[in-house]
Amino acid sequence: MGNKQTIFTDEQLDAYQDCTFFTRKEILRLHGRYHELAPHLVPMDYTKEPDCNVPLALIVNMPELKENPFRNRIVESFSEDGMGNLSFNEFVDMFSVLSEMAPRELKAIYAFKIYDFNVDNYLCKEDLEKTLNRLTKEELTPEEVELVCEKAIEEADLDGDSKLSFADFENMISRAPDFLSTFHIRI
Amino acid sequence: MSMFPDTVAFTEDAIRNEMENEEQNLVKDLVAMSTRDRIRAIQDLPMSFEEKKHIRNQVMAFKSSKQSRQFTCFADCSESVSLFFRRCGYSIRSARQTLELWQVIMKEIGGKFGTSVLSYFVFLKWLLMFNIFSFLVNFGFITIPLLIYGPASPTVSFRGLEILTGAGYFTNTVMYYGGYSNETHVGLVEYNMQLAYFFTITVYMVLCGIALIFSMASSFRTNYVLASPASSGAWQLLCSWDFTVTNERAVKQRKNNLCVQLKESLSEKAQRELLTLSEKMKHFGVYLGSWLLSTGLTVGCGASIYYLCQYEQQRATDTASWSLVQEAETLLVPFVVSLMNLVVPLFYSLFYKFENYSSQRRQIYALVVRNVLLRMSILGVLCYYWMNVVAMNFSCWESMIGQALYRLVIFDFFFLMLGSFFGEFLSKVIGTTVLPRLGVPEFDIARNVLELIYAQTLAWVGIYFSPLLPAIQIVKFFILFCLKKVSLTHNCQPPRRTGRAAQMQTTFIALLFFPFFVGALSMVAYTAWSLTPSEQCGPFRGLNNTFSVVSVWIDDLEEFPGSQWVVWIYQNVIRSEVFYFLITLIILVIIYMFWQVSQGRKELIGLLRQQIVNEGKDKSFLLDKLQNLQKSQPTKTPKQKNQKKPKRRSDVQSSGGQSSSNAMFQAFLARQRLEEEEERRSDGGVPVPSDMSTSSALMQAMLARQRADDLVEDVYQMSDKPLSSSGALAQAMQARQRTEGPERDELYSTAGFSENPVNRSNAVMQARQARQRAEEDRMDDTGDPTSSVSNVMMQVMEARQRAEEEDRSHWLPAQPQNPVPPGSSALIQAMLARQQAGNGFDDGY
Repeated sequence: MGNKQTIFTDEQLDAYQDCTFFTRKEILRLHGRYHELAPHLVPMDYTKEPDCNVPLALIVNMPELKENPFRNRIVESFSEDGMGNLSFNEFVDMFSVLSEMAPRELKAIYAFKIYDFNVDNYLCKEDLEKTLNRLTKEELTPEEVELVCEKAIEEADLDGDSKLSFADFENMISRAPDFLSTFHIRI
Repeated sequence: MSMFPDTVAFTEDAIRNEMENEEQNLVKDLVAMSTRDRIRAIQDLPMSFEEKKHIRNQVMAFKSSKQSRQFTCFADCSESVSLFFRRCGYSIRSARQTLELWQVIMKEIGGKFGTSVLSYFVFLKWLLMFNIFSFLVNFGFITIPLLIYGPASPTVSFRGLEILTGAGYFTNTVMYYGGYSNETHVGLVEYNMQLAYFFTITVYMVLCGIALIFSMASSFRTNYVLASPASSGAWQLLCSWDFTVTNERAVKQRKNNLCVQLKESLSEKAQRELLTLSEKMKHFGVYLGSWLLSTGLTVGCGASIYYLCQYEQQRATDTASWSLVQEAETLLVPFVVSLMNLVVPLFYSLFYKFENYSSQRRQIYALVVRNVLLRMSILGVLCYYWMNVVAMNFSCWESMIGQALYRLVIFDFFFLMLGSFFGEFLSKVIGTTVLPRLGVPEFDIARNVLELIYAQTLAWVGIYFSPLLPAIQIVKFFILFCLKKVSLTHNCQPPRRTGRAAQMQTTFIALLFFPFFVGALSMVAYTAWSLTPSEQCGPFRGLNNTFSVVSVWIDDLEEFPGSQWVVWIYQNVIRSEVFYFLITLIILVIIYMFWQVSQGRKELIGLLRQQIVNEGKDKSFLLDKLQNLQKSQPTKTPKQKNQKKPKRRSDVQSSGGQSSSNAMFQAFLARQRLEEEEERRSDGGVPVPSDMSTSSALMQAMLARQRADDLVEDVYQMSDKPLSSSGALAQAMQARQRTEGPERDELYSTAGFSENPVNRSNAVMQARQARQRAEEDRMDDTGDPTSSVSNVMMQVMEARQRAEEEDRSHWLPAQPQNPVPPGSSALIQAMLARQQAGNGFDDGY
C-alpha cells in the first residue's frame, strides 16, 4: 500500500473493491486502459469523479473486444444511455461481470441482455437469427438459419411460448458448465 | 373519464414506492449480514456500479448511525480496524495476482485457442504449483536438517551419465531414501530423522489427497450438477461462443467451424434414421474389434515390460558402483516404457478413423479409457516388480526403486518433448507440405493431459523412495510449459469442435485422483506397512516395517511424564479397531443421509422443471381461450378496435333499436376495452427487470387466467339475459373495475401480447385500409332502399366481420401498440392510449 497514486482516493478504491470483483491494482490498470482509449477525454485525476463518457466506437476497438462478434451489444448492454457511451464506472462494471470471479447468475443476466438484440426481454427468433448471423459470418442460407433457430427455441423453451424467457435461458445456462469460463474476457 | 390519469399516476407512484421499499429491504438485509457476506452480496447484485455504490453508502450510513448510539470511540476503533483488515486482504489479493505466473501467456493462449486448450495449461500450472509446494515441504523438513547435520558424501566420482540414470554419483546423496540417516540430531533442538521422514511423507500424501478431493468436489459441483447432454442446438447458439478468443484468425476459424457444425447437425438428423440393422451390427463389430485390439495391446505391453524387467534383473548386480555399460543398460526399461507410452496412444488415436462414434464425447472418453488402461497396466507391472523382486534382491532396494523412478521421470520428459515434436511439429510439416488433405494438427488435449497425469503419478510413487523428485518435476513442468506453448503457437490450429472443456477438466481431475493418486498412495502405504526396510541404508534401517517407527516413538514418549495423553490416544484410538469401526459406521450413516438429501433435491428439481412446463401450458391455454373468444364474438356481436372510433359510433347508432343486442354489444365493447388496456399495459410494462423470477411469472399467469375466466363468465351471463343497455353498461363497468384491481400490480402480461412491434405503422395503415373498405361496404349496403333494417344490420355485421378478420390478420403478427418504451414513458403512453379509448367510449354513448 506504499505506492502513492493520485488517480483515486482510498475511499473510492474501497468502493470499487467492495462493489466489483477487482482489486485495487486491477482498478488502476483498468483506469489506465480507459485513459488510453481517449487520452484527451479522460482525465488522469478521478478523485473529483469527473463526468466523462467514452463513445462506443472507441471502446469496441480495444483488442479484447475488437474481434468479438457481440462487441457492440456488450458495450450497449452496459451503457446507461443505451447508445454505447461508457463512463468509467460502467466500463469497470462491464469487465467486472466478464471477469473470472463473477458468479454464474450475474453473468447469465448480462449474457441475456447481450443476446436480446431488440430489448424486449425475450430471446425471440429474430434475436437468435441475429446471434447466429454474427456467429457464422452469414454463410448459412436463410432456410438453414431459420431451421437452426427453430430447433434451438424448441430445445430450450420450457414454457412453450416459442421464445426464450430469462428463466429458459438461465435453465439452459445451468446445464452448460462451460459458460462460466467462456463468458469471460481477460483484461 | 378523469379516473384514468389518476390511476396511471397512482400506478407510477406505486411502482416508485415499490422500488423504494425494495431498496430499503435490500439495505436492511445487507446491514444484517457480516462484512464479508455483505461485500459478496453487493458484488453479486445485478446493478450498475453507481447503484451498487449508492446501496453500499446507504448500508454504511445505516451502520454508522446505529453505531453512533453505542460507544463512539469503540465503534470508531472497530470500524477502522475492520477497514484496515479489509484493505490488507485486498492488497494481499493484489500481491497474489502479481505473483501469478504467466498471466500474459495465458491470456495470449486463451485469445488464440480458446478455453479448452487453455484448460491444459491451467492444469499444467496447477501441477507445477503442486510440485513446488511438495518440494518445499520435503526439502524443508527432510533435506535441510540432514544437510545441516552432515550429509553423506558420495563415494563415486561424477561421470556425466548420472544425469540420465540417476545412479552412481547420486546413489548415496540426499536424492534417494538411502542417503538419509536414522539418527536423532541433537543441536538446538532434537531432530529425529526417522520421525521427520515418516511424518513428512504421510502429511504430504494426506495433503495431496485432500487438495485433490476438494478441487474435484468443487469442479463436480460447478460442472456436473445439472449438466445434461440435451439442448445442443440452443447451446451452440447461445453458450458456445468463447468470449476469451481475441485473435482475428481464430475468430474467423471459429465462425467457420460453427457453420460446418450447424450444417452437419442439420444433415445428421436425416442420417441417423437411415441406420439399418446390418449397419448397426457393423458398427458394433468395429467397436468390439478395436476394444479387443486395444486391450490386447495393453496386456502385451504389460507382459513385455515384466519380462524386460526380469531380464534386466538377471544382469544387474547388487553393488554400489556399476561399470558404465551396466549403468547404461539400466536405461533400457525406462526407454521402452516411455516409447510405449508415446507410440501406443498414437496408434489408439488411429482407431478413430474406423470407429464412427456418434458423438465426439464418446470418442474422447473411449480414447481416454484406453490410454488410462495402458498406463495403469504398465505402472502396475512395474510396481509389482519393484515390490516383489527388487525389494528381495537388493541390499538398499529403496534407493534402487528411487533410481528407477528417476530414470522413468527423465525419460518421460524426453519423450514428452519428442512427442510434441513428432505429434505436432512433424504432422504440421506433413499437413502443410506433403499431404495438405490432413491439414494443420489440432492440439490433442486428452492425450496431453494424460501425459501430465502419468508424469505426476511417477512423482507420487517416487516421493517415498526419492524425496527430492518434485525438484526434477518442477524443472520438467516448467520446460514443458514453455515448450508446449511454443509448439502450440507454431504448429497447431485452434480446435475445430468446441467441446465441453469444463466437463473434460472435471474428468481429468477425477482421473488424476482415482486410479492414479489412489494407486500411488496404496503403493506407498503398502511399502510402509508390510515391506521390511533395507538393513544397511535409509532412515528406517533395523525396523520391521516403516510404520513401527511410530510405536518406537510412543514407547519413548512413555518415559516423559507430560505426554501421557499422546500415549493414551495412540493406544486407545489409533490402535483400536473399535474406533475405526465406529468412525466407519458414522461416515456411512452420514453418507447415506446426504445421499437421501441429494435424491430429494433431484426430485425437487424434476418437480420444479415440471412446474415450469405446466406454467407454459397454462399460458398457452389462456392464449387459446382468449383467441377463441375473439373469434367467437363477431358471430354474435360486433367487436371493435379502438382505431375504429368513428365507425363504432355509427354502429351503435344504427343498431340502437335492438336493446338486447345493443346491451350485449356494449358489454363487449367494455370488455374489449378491458382487453385492450390489458394489452397496452402489458406492452407498457415490458421493461421489467430481466431477472424476474419464475415464481412471479407463475403468479401472474394464474392471475391472468383467473381474469380470463371471469371475463368469459361475464360474457355468457350477458348473452343469456336480455339486459337493458344501461344495465349492461353498469355490468361492464363493474367487470372492468373488478379486473382493474389485479391489473394495477400487473407488470407484464404472461400471454404473448408483447409481440415484436415491427412494421407497426405499416400494420396500422393496413388496418385503416381494411376499415375503410368495410365502411364503404356498409355505405353501399345502407344505400339499398329495398332491404329492411335487420337486413342492413346483418350486412353491416358481415362487412365488419370481414374487416375485422383482415384487421386481425395484420394485428396478430405485429401489434400496433407501444414499441417497447422504457419505464415511465411506457406508462405515459399507456395512459394516453387509455384516455383515447375512454373518449371513444364516452362518445359512443
